[in-house]
Amino acid sequence: MTSTATDIGNFFHQRTGPLTRELLREPGGFGLGQVPGSLKPDATTTSICGYCSTGCSLNIHLKDGQAVSLTPSTDYPVNLGMACPKGWEALAVLDSPDRATIPLLKDESGKLQPVEWDLALRTFSEKFKTIQEKHGTESVAFLSTGQMPTEEMALLGALAKFGMGILHGDGNTRQCMATSVVSYKQSFGFDAPPYTYQDFEESDVIVLIGSNLCIAHPIMWERVMRNPHSPEIIVVDPRMTETAMNATQHLPLAPKSDMALLYGVARILIENGWVDADFIAESTNGFAEFSSYVQNYSLERVSSETGLPAAEIERFARLIHEGKRVSFWWTMGVNQSYQGVRTAQAIINLALMTGNIGRPGTGANSITGQCNAMGSRLFSNTTNLLGGHDFGNDEHRKKVAGVLGIDEDLIPREASWAYHEIFEGILRGKIKGLWVVCTNPAHSWINQTQARDILDRLDFLVVQDIYHNTETAQMADLVLPAAGWAEKEGTFINSERRIGTLKKVRKAPGQALADFSIFKAVAEYWGCGDMFREWTSPEATFQILKECSRDTPCDITGIEGYRMLDEHGGIQWPFAGGGVSGEGQREENGGEAESFPCPSALTSLPSQQRRLFENGKFYHADGRAKFLFEDPRPLTEPPSERFPFVLLTGRGTASQWHTQTRTKQSAVLRKLYPKNAYVEINPGDARRIGISHNSRVIVESQRGRILASAFVTHGVQPGQLFVPMHYEPVNQLTDAVFDPYSKQPSYKACAANVIPAA
Amino acid sequence: MATDLTTRPDEKAKASEPPVGVATPHAETRTPSNPETLLNWLLDQQQEMTAVEQFSTVHQRGSLPDQAKYYSSLIPASAPQAGQQYAFDVDLDRCSGCKACVTACHTLNGLDEEETWRDVGLLVGGTSAKPVMQHVTTACHHCLEPGCMSACPVDAYEKDPVTGIVRHLDDQCFGCQYCTLACPYDVPKYHSAKGIVRKCDMCSDRLAVGEAPACVQACPHEAIAIRIVNVEQVVEDSEANVFLPAAPDPHITLPTTTYRTKRVFPRNLLPVDYHSVSAQHPHWPLILMLVLTQLSVGAFLSGLVLERFLESSLVTAMRPLHTLTALLFGLVAVAASTLHLGRPQYAFRAVIGLRHSWLSREILAFGVFAGLAVLYAGGNWIGPESFTRFWQTWIGWGVAASGVAGVFCSVMIYAFTQKAFWSFSLTSTRFLLTTAMLGTAAIWLTLLLMSAGGSTSAATIITQHGLHIAQTLITAAGTKLLFELAFLRHLTDRQITPLKRSAMLMTGPLAGFSIARFALGLLGGIVMPALLLPTISQPQSDPVFLPIVVSMLFVACLAGELLERYLFFAAVASPRMPGSLR
Repeated sequence: MTSTATDIGNFFHQRTGPLTRELLREPGGFGLGQVPGSLKPDATTTSICGYCSTGCSLNIHLKDGQAVSLTPSTDYPVNLGMACPKGWEALAVLDSPDRATIPLLKDESGKLQPVEWDLALRTFSEKFKTIQEKHGTESVAFLSTGQMPTEEMALLGALAKFGMGILHGDGNTRQCMATSVVSYKQSFGFDAPPYTYQDFEESDVIVLIGSNLCIAHPIMWERVMRNPHSPEIIVVDPRMTETAMNATQHLPLAPKSDMALLYGVARILIENGWVDADFIAESTNGFAEFSSYVQNYSLERVSSETGLPAAEIERFARLIHEGKRVSFWWTMGVNQSYQGVRTAQAIINLALMTGNIGRPGTGANSITGQCNAMGSRLFSNTTNLLGGHDFGNDEHRKKVAGVLGIDEDLIPREASWAYHEIFEGILRGKIKGLWVVCTNPAHSWINQTQARDILDRLDFLVVQDIYHNTETAQMADLVLPAAGWAEKEGTFINSERRIGTLKKVRKAPGQALADFSIFKAVAEYWGCGDMFREWTSPEATFQILKECSRDTPCDITGIEGYRMLDEHGGIQWPFAGGGVSGEGQREENGGEAESFPCPSALTSLPSQQRRLFENGKFYHADGRAKFLFEDPRPLTEPPSERFPFVLLTGRGTASQWHTQTRTKQSAVLRKLYPKNAYVEINPGDARRIGISHNSRVIVESQRGRILASAFVTHGVQPGQLFVPMHYEPVNQLTDAVFDPYSKQPSYKACAANVIPAA
Repeated sequence: MATDLTTRPDEKAKASEPPVGVATPHAETRTPSNPETLLNWLLDQQQEMTAVEQFSTVHQRGSLPDQAKYYSSLIPASAPQAGQQYAFDVDLDRCSGCKACVTACHTLNGLDEEETWRDVGLLVGGTSAKPVMQHVTTACHHCLEPGCMSACPVDAYEKDPVTGIVRHLDDQCFGCQYCTLACPYDVPKYHSAKGIVRKCDMCSDRLAVGEAPACVQACPHEAIAIRIVNVEQVVEDSEANVFLPAAPDPHITLPTTTYRTKRVFPRNLLPVDYHSVSAQHPHWPLILMLVLTQLSVGAFLSGLVLERFLESSLVTAMRPLHTLTALLFGLVAVAASTLHLGRPQYAFRAVIGLRHSWLSREILAFGVFAGLAVLYAGGNWIGPESFTRFWQTWIGWGVAASGVAGVFCSVMIYAFTQKAFWSFSLTSTRFLLTTAMLGTAAIWLTLLLMSAGGSTSAATIITQHGLHIAQTLITAAGTKLLFELAFLRHLTDRQITPLKRSAMLMTGPLAGFSIARFALGLLGGIVMPALLLPTISQPQSDPVFLPIVVSMLFVACLAGELLERYLFFAAVASPRMPGSLR
């Protein structure tokens, strides 16, 4: 064809051109395969995702030094080339008009006005110092987060407590992981989730309790789906969730009847001799007492309290017995309970008595919530002194003071108040100033109306966040604009204790600063900058934290630095290095730190999948784990005539994260979840009340009324309601009751009613 | 400490070294201790990008992408043979509803901010004792008989003869969006900023080099694969309706996706969005175009019919004005139709789809109609009297015939989509009654314009034929309103059929439009012509009576039909792939 003919042909039928080229894919290089031509990278690096505790590695595509796109890292031992929607969209949420780009200070009319950093930080210091002078140094408190890198939360904790004289600080991890921390500490002697994700693939029986893994941790579910042993999957959850749908046995028990079920199963195991007597004898304490206690849990009693058929309970016990590698996993269904600690320990007891711990495919395994909840547990300097130490222990204070080069007397002798105690402190006039960093209590804290009323009583509220309009930032007197994930460096620790790095690959908008930089600046303005001269950068801080961890169960002194973390696909704690083998470890370290025998196998090079307790030794002084138990209590707010339903809350979709400050910024994620609050209700209940699909309803509890649309589904049992936690009004309904040991709020069960909206 | 850790990714990355002289945060410099100096230093440092220098990943070039080790078993090892094609294969038992596929497709294909080519819906059902929920990932089904491709007037779709992949030619598309109506699966998505449609192409160029499509690469549970299917098997499965519960009937386009499961689904399994009704995009240019073409065609027709009963002087008096009015409405309609195109400059390309596209045929028919109408209307004003009378009548019937053909094509455009609300019988009744009603109303408009121009012929025509003209209008309007009202009987359907959905929309979210539509129809088609009836035998002395009544008659009729057509688009409901909770 001549070119003229081609032109004429093209004129009528144009097969290619500029619009086609827009979507052309090209080989991306760097092992990526084809990528959109416009986003072809000139370099790549990796970063751990900043949402949940799975800790997926994302391969960041760089162009001229800045991130242009990302894909899941193919070889990272956590996610094996996969990510959930939040991870895929992690960069998109950074470009938002809602980003905080300049400090905002409330003016006389109560309106937040842009100000220079200098004025913002001078005001910060003046206001908080004035409050402290008038009401005592402990009258200023902070609320931190599980979403920041370890180095940042450590600097915040050290600055606040050692530099500013603040006594009380807690994290939003109180809302998700406190129960696991306390149960592990009491049972094992240290807050130590023992597993590695490979266990998902090696179990032949997987027990998931209060965990909707498919939705809350989709990439952990990937590991379950890769399990080649056709495992029995037992899901204990009142709702038919995605995870329950994929179970081989779903036990839709009555809300908060888990302890009765687990004790009943323990009784069946004991009665049939389905226990590991050797392991019990060598590695545990308190089995005899436990054994006689669970005799109270007859099949009839357990069946009546849980609402489960007797045969299903027996089947559950038999599957545990028949499994060669049984792993037990729990998440928020257990943790967010008024009796969460004892429920978690009822799970731990099952693993201990059947010897399902310390071997591949086993364990009593808490799945953490936030990306760095585990970092917060060890290094936030709130409940624990830096590095999993104890504020009340003279030796520990001396050690940490030595590492930091500070006066030992600057370290408080008591742990902080818990989150709800800080709120009560505000109510009682003990706390007058609050510094909220990277969390959104005005949305997320339980009994929201009361929580906002309490925040309103503060003399000075500082909110440090990457968005200027979170529910809490809107209440603030001062908003400090923070750089977000991908705009700063540091490390996260994931659920399986794996430490990984994040990179600065995006320019922060406006004058937003990394939280690390904000803390450094605050230190200078406060006048305690000298205390942090060695904390020059996140990586320098990592070196300090390493020293803090020396000779503890979470000893990471064998990690050289960030580069080493990257090269090994992250490194799980402990890693002391030095070619020490597992058997000799306890003796070698025993002399120096008697309270922390280190039972894990350690080698000079970290293998990629390591679990704890392989030698049957735990962290209590005698090396034994404890059986702990207690009478279960009835629902704190049982259904009544006025409020006849039990209201459950939890995660909605894999595309939503917590209070949605980030996930609502991605247009694609927004398409993947319902815009407004909805309530799941059983068809029988719906018909009785006159509620139809999609109709507008009012859900009410003693504390509030919210509007929602009805999702009529058999997935919730009669007499129960479910509302996802991501929608702002939901916590107007929840009841502020707490686990007595972990102080974690019980979000999952309160009495409620539902009626058609007029 | 960081300087010795620097590694280059490969030779290409060297080009992107940070500017010389920029300090890195790890450089052995002391941070400034003066608070303000420190702040400036921190703000500068925040804007420095050092990840490439410090942490960029070392990668050895290999033949296959790293990710291939996970997906190599999920794509075919060889090309399809004759009688075969590529198809998506979804293992429902592995789909957990995480929706990573949607976001991966978005990222790996470089789609615009809100653009997605894959969706995940949810089916629920069962009993309280045995509840069932099933997520369903879905994209283009690369059908054997793609509705999009048959509908497209410019041949912007092609089905690859070897792979069977249905590709959209973005540069050929002129943005008529007909494919978005014709696809039963809501696959082609209109991109208004670009004025074209875009859709899934099964990542054909990835498959061509042995890479997996984005969704296949990214599903954490290996729920999506590309398999080779036999065309005969697809036909057989479609005929037996083995596709997916609650999905559109597969016999329409023969979708090739295989949904497999070992589960036994309960019979009450329904999409979670089954009960939600939401109004559709109304397409205002199409509303205008349809109503005004039908008005124009109707006016030409009614004029020709009326002329049969008129003496020649009255014909001469009436025809130029009437045909001019009809022509003007027709030209406005044609102009409006181009507004609907995302890229109207390529409207001429529509000629190439004549063999299969009703839209091409409609464009051709109305093109001929407009041409003849110009000739006809123009000839009545300028042509030599003796010559034109004969020819003009013939041209007039040509106008009418091409116009009716155009309206027929309009009907077929919608009937082709196989949506119940747009069925041939419902749509043809609707369009023909509009043609009759507005055509008759146009006579009144012409008569008004004539009398306004001082012609006495108008009064003569009214006296002689006004009764019939008014009765015809009342009959046409009454029939149409009853027909539309009768449609609401579907509200009593026990199942939520697509027709019930339309009725629910018309009485629910669109109730305001429905009420206005019936009020205007009643006013213009019944009340106003009824007011005229008594005045026909006794000519009205009040000089403003006729202008007011006829103006209201015409405007109300036209506005009522525009609203009727708004409902035609906004209240359409069609079978769709299972959606998600809204």
